[in-house]
Amino acid sequence: MASERLTERRRVYQQYKADVKERGKPFFPYAMWHDTIMSLVVVVVIIGLAVVWKYTTPGNHHTTDPGWLGKLYDNPADPGTINFVPRPDWYYYFLFYLLRIFKWPESVLLGTIGIPTIALLLLIALPFIDLRSERRISRRPVAIIAGILVVISMGVLTFKGATAKEALGSELLGHVSAWAKKEGYTGNQAAVKGAKLFAVSGCLNCHVYNGDGGQNLGAPELTAEGAKNKGIAFQIAHLKCPSCKNPGSPMPSFAGLGDDRLKLLATFLESSKGSK
Amino acid sequence: MATRTKPTRGQQLQEAINYPLDWVEERSGLVGGIKYFLFRKVPGDVNWFQTLGSATFTAFLVQALTGVILAMYYKPDPKDAYSSIQHITNDIFAGWLVRGMHRWGASVFIILMFMHMGRVFLFGAYKFPRELNWIIGVLLLAMGLGEGFTGYLLPWDQTSYWATVVGININGTAPFLGPFLAQFLQGGTYINADTLSRFYAIHMLMIPGAIAALIGLHMYLVIRLGVTSPPWSKEAAGTGPLEQPSQNGTARSGLTRPGTRKDGR
Amino acid sequence: MQPTHNDEHPHVPGPSIWPAGFAVGVVVLLVGLIVSWYVVGLGALIALAFGFLWVRDLTTGSSLTEAPAVAPEGGRSESATGAAIPADRGEAAAVPGDRYPRSKFLELSTLGLGGVIGGLVSAPAIGFMVAPAFLKQGVKDHDIGPITDYPEGKFVVATYMSDANQGEVSRRTAFVRNNGQLNGQPSFTIISNHCAHLGCPVQPNGPLDTPNGKQYHDVSLIPTISIAGFGCPCHGGQYDTEGNRTSGPPVRALDRYSFSIRNGNLFVGKPYSVSHVDGAGSGAKIHKWTLAFPGEHVNGIESWLYPIQPPH
Repeated sequence: MASERLTERRRVYQQYKADVKERGKPFFPYAMWHDTIMSLVVVVVIIGLAVVWKYTTPGNHHTTDPGWLGKLYDNPADPGTINFVPRPDWYYYFLFYLLRIFKWPESVLLGTIGIPTIALLLLIALPFIDLRSERRISRRPVAIIAGILVVISMGVLTFKGATAKEALGSELLGHVSAWAKKEGYTGNQAAVKGAKLFAVSGCLNCHVYNGDGGQNLGAPELTAEGAKNKGIAFQIAHLKCPSCKNPGSPMPSFAGLGDDRLKLLATFLESSKGSK
Repeated sequence: MATRTKPTRGQQLQEAINYPLDWVEERSGLVGGIKYFLFRKVPGDVNWFQTLGSATFTAFLVQALTGVILAMYYKPDPKDAYSSIQHITNDIFAGWLVRGMHRWGASVFIILMFMHMGRVFLFGAYKFPRELNWIIGVLLLAMGLGEGFTGYLLPWDQTSYWATVVGININGTAPFLGPFLAQFLQGGTYINADTLSRFYAIHMLMIPGAIAALIGLHMYLVIRLGVTSPPWSKEAAGTGPLEQPSQNGTARSGLTRPGTRKDGR
Repeated sequence: MQPTHNDEHPHVPGPSIWPAGFAVGVVVLLVGLIVSWYVVGLGALIALAFGFLWVRDLTTGSSLTEAPAVAPEGGRSESATGAAIPADRGEAAAVPGDRYPRSKFLELSTLGLGGVIGGLVSAPAIGFMVAPAFLKQGVKDHDIGPITDYPEGKFVVATYMSDANQGEVSRRTAFVRNNGQLNGQPSFTIISNHCAHLGCPVQPNGPLDTPNGKQYHDVSLIPTISIAGFGCPCHGGQYDTEGNRTSGPPVRALDRYSFSIRNGNLFVGKPYSVSHVDGAGSGAKIHKWTLAFPGEHVNGIESWLYPIQPPH
């Protein structure tokens, strides 16, 4: 059986060699012309990206502000930092996002090693899984569908990774006045104090508020939390014990902040009626 | 021969070109090898999709060249790395361009590897007898990603430092060997003063050497086994016994009008 | 193995198992570089013993084959059976008219000597590359200032340079809490800021009292005002004030440091891993484990995936 298939595959390859010999074209210059054009495009694109990277960066010297293609460089490495969120280069975004999907301790290994290793092994094994010599696309439905699914899932993961938000504690405090303006509670001292507390208490590690913050553990966006009119008492009780009010909630208790601060936070949440 | 008149200027020129070529050929056979590479037959219907492999190679060459030049200015030491990156980017003539080309060439290289792999998959070009070349290609992809990982640390800024922490710890979660792998990569329990130069050596010597060797093997196999026709091509090479009725008519079409194929859009 | 038709054999040692033993010895030696010097000695002994046997084998002829010690005469072709290379173990083909019949001795010794050269060059080089990563890292206790700088019951964010020779790269951050007295001795909780998921920097969930920060040599101390726990911005891991995981992907509690007190100053010692902590403050029961990398379970079934930790 197997040898029959092997004989067939060998025959097809011999046929291929005969066909190429008979009606093939010389690589140079016919095929190589295309190759050269394509390589020229590649080099131009690379230089173009470098130029755009440099010249869209605001201020030409000693800046860590991002241009269209991101920063020229970030602040120097600080192994002792307590407010930084790392991000890989874009081609690791799929892995970056996989790690966010596997948000249970039991499944960490799947996201870090499991799925990438399985994918790599499947890739290596592909020629031994797909043994038929058929190459026409319409006759390879399984392979083509599998390929499309892989491309779509990689694309979606990369896109989600690229658009995933993150919180930087040090920057967030500076956003408070902008939030207050947008949400219209600038005059409410308690709410502004609550907003400052909100910015420094790690809430934005998971929640999104007015475009700031990360999206972890499936936490809801809080921009218009006050519009639900749950009441300050509910908010305080929820902050003290989220899973009591909302069974299954992964949010930790914030009781440790003390009643006065919880009241400020609750006031802030109830004042957040949505961006105007 | 001896009785002929003086050779014309053109003949003289031809002679002047041929002499060194013949000299090299007689002593090495290299000219014949290059001629074989250039004038070997490929199917008449190869198309633009099949330029992705050579484009990837071009991107690799860009990386190799810009990387070597960057190595002249970059200092792989935690105390100096960041300032040398600033120096390259802001002070050195065209430093930003070379660094930018290396930075973005990496992305282009990786995109092209994925696209090239997609093309090979779509064309079914990983099938007999090209299985080994597919495997070499997958190894090249893995090594390219390894280059991306090790190179990301080199600017020694916040992003690169902490992304590398996470990356090393991802390796560390591998069953059984993970802790050893992570500690080997770091050269210690934590990222320390030697980690950067370790990554640098891996990034610019170990992996590129392996990639260059595998690319050589990859190309050798491409030349030995030939390039596949697009699977949808009516005159795809190797589609079966010569049963096409038009076979006689198109027998030499690949040589007579190779550039105007409909696939050559 | 019948030397019936090969009268014109060179001196032929057969394949031997000694090289395998030699290789095992080298492997044991290399493992020993990581594990202990005794194992290095054992590996060296094995390698030497087998290497000696191997060399003796090569020089005196095989113990497995009886190679007739008849030197070939160039160009002799009496034997007509040598048309094909015999597949027999240890037999060299004597092709008629072949001036240089296959010589197992030269083949094996060339390969063997090549292996020796490779080993001599690569063993120290690879050892140089690998071993330093695993040899004792020698964590030194680090002075992080007088204990009076640590108000009781509050976390202080202490950032210090753990190794002055290495510079900034050795900067570490720990969350230090003075737990008051336990049995007449001061008690501290020192929690590492490396997330037990994948090592991102963990932040306190609460406001810091930055204006009241202090500096003691290379140590900067920023007290917290009040915190509800710790959170990781990367993948949302959450911990309580004892470092226990409360939600998110972390596989265990936050690592801690041992501590000691000398002349009224607090010293940070060795880091260790913690599966979980029962209770709180000075009376807490800490379930300690040897330091593991982030993302590795230290207890439960998944810890079986990480049976051996490299020496830290």
